[in-house]
Amino acid sequence: MQNEESLVRRAQQHDHEAFAQLYEEHFDKIYRYVTLKIGNETEAEDVTQQVFLNALQSIPSFKWKGIPFSAWLFRIAHNQVVDYLRKKKRIAVPLDESLASNDNNPQSVAEHKLDIEQLLLATRQLTEAQREVISLRFTSELSIAQVAKVMSKSQGAVKALQHSAIVALRKALSVAENENK
Amino acid sequence: MKTSKEFDDILDECLERLLVKGETIEQCLQSYPEQAAELNPLLQTALVAKKASAIQPRAEFKARARYQFRSALREVASKRIRPFFGWFPRWATVATMALVLLLAGGGTVAAAGNSMPDNPLYPVKLATEQAQLTLTPSQIGKARLCAKLADRRVAEIIYMANKGDAQQIELITQRLDKRLVMLASLASAQKAGEAPKALAPAPIPVPSEKAKGGKDVYVGANNHAKLRMAVACYAVEHPEKLRAVLEKAPESAKPALRRAIAVSVAGYKRALESLD
Repeated sequence: MQNEESLVRRAQQHDHEAFAQLYEEHFDKIYRYVTLKIGNETEAEDVTQQVFLNALQSIPSFKWKGIPFSAWLFRIAHNQVVDYLRKKKRIAVPLDESLASNDNNPQSVAEHKLDIEQLLLATRQLTEAQREVISLRFTSELSIAQVAKVMSKSQGAVKALQHSAIVALRKALSVAENENK
Repeated sequence: MKTSKEFDDILDECLERLLVKGETIEQCLQSYPEQAAELNPLLQTALVAKKASAIQPRAEFKARARYQFRSALREVASKRIRPFFGWFPRWATVATMALVLLLAGGGTVAAAGNSMPDNPLYPVKLATEQAQLTLTPSQIGKARLCAKLADRRVAEIIYMANKGDAQQIELITQRLDKRLVMLASLASAQKAGEAPKALAPAPIPVPSEKAKGGKDVYVGANNHAKLRMAVACYAVEHPEKLRAVLEKAPESAKPALRRAIAVSVAGYKRALESLD
């Protein structure tokens, strides 16, 4: 955390390399978060880029008051996604063909894609807050404390939301599984 | 019987052990045998949700995004440095550019204006463009110039595609990308700097004959609306032109052309969003 705080301070003092390091550390997580929320890789790419450009413009106003930089960045991502969906006036679209994974085995890539597609469809049955907690906790791998900061909720409230989100997700996944049988 | 809060804590502890520490579901259930029946399906579901963490951005996108972010970093830095040096850099730049233009000679510069990337005068054309950008005082003027330069880059890509030169297409695409990033950045800055009342509704983008000629495409109520209309025209025209040339281009040039199309589509989309 100390290291991140130091990086952020340097970035605020126009240190390119410090900001570039923060960018590298958070890029994949933000991309995953946006992809799960939007559901389309090509459009998630544009939104992810915009998140970091917005962060670059806003970083001088960032104040280190117990809110980690990552929480601040995810809030920008959240606002960008909301803005994007509002502008497009539509709900999330299906995952496109080119959804990438690190796996080179065609069979496991196909299985992975199917898993992700099922998961995405299932998350649409969740409430906005439940989807948010699933994206942050499991896709972007934030801790409960970090999710609480991003969502401006207490850790207890996030744990309760996490519980209800997993229950709802399980229900949605089993419905989808039954429909596929 | 545990309370709901206690169960939420147990579930979270098990999730940490499962997802962060790499323990198995069985190990977690052994710690809480009374809650095992309720915990088990939830932990199984959490493992399914965890699969989404394997989503990775495409390497090509990551490289492009990194390049654009670094460009934006440099852009921001150059804006911040200028006031520190006061008038000196602008004077120095103006003097240097004037000297270059004088040394190059008016005729050379004019001849370079229409040169293509395989022409020896092409570097003069690029230097002249850079000088024009530097000497243009207003942000809206710079943005308009960026749009015009993007139009030139597309014409150059089409020219090099017909020659099957993939390497040149890649290089020009990078320049096109740079101009479109700059255009979006200037549009954002201009929008932030001007009062919203100065903005008029943008006309419906219809590619005009003038737009196709790359000359006076700025017809409208005010500078912002004119710029938006020009960019909207190019946003339709440029990908269309590149797609048309893709069909006829040699196979060796097609991957580079596809990248050029992707860059133009994404670049104009971003620019239009910045202008809206």
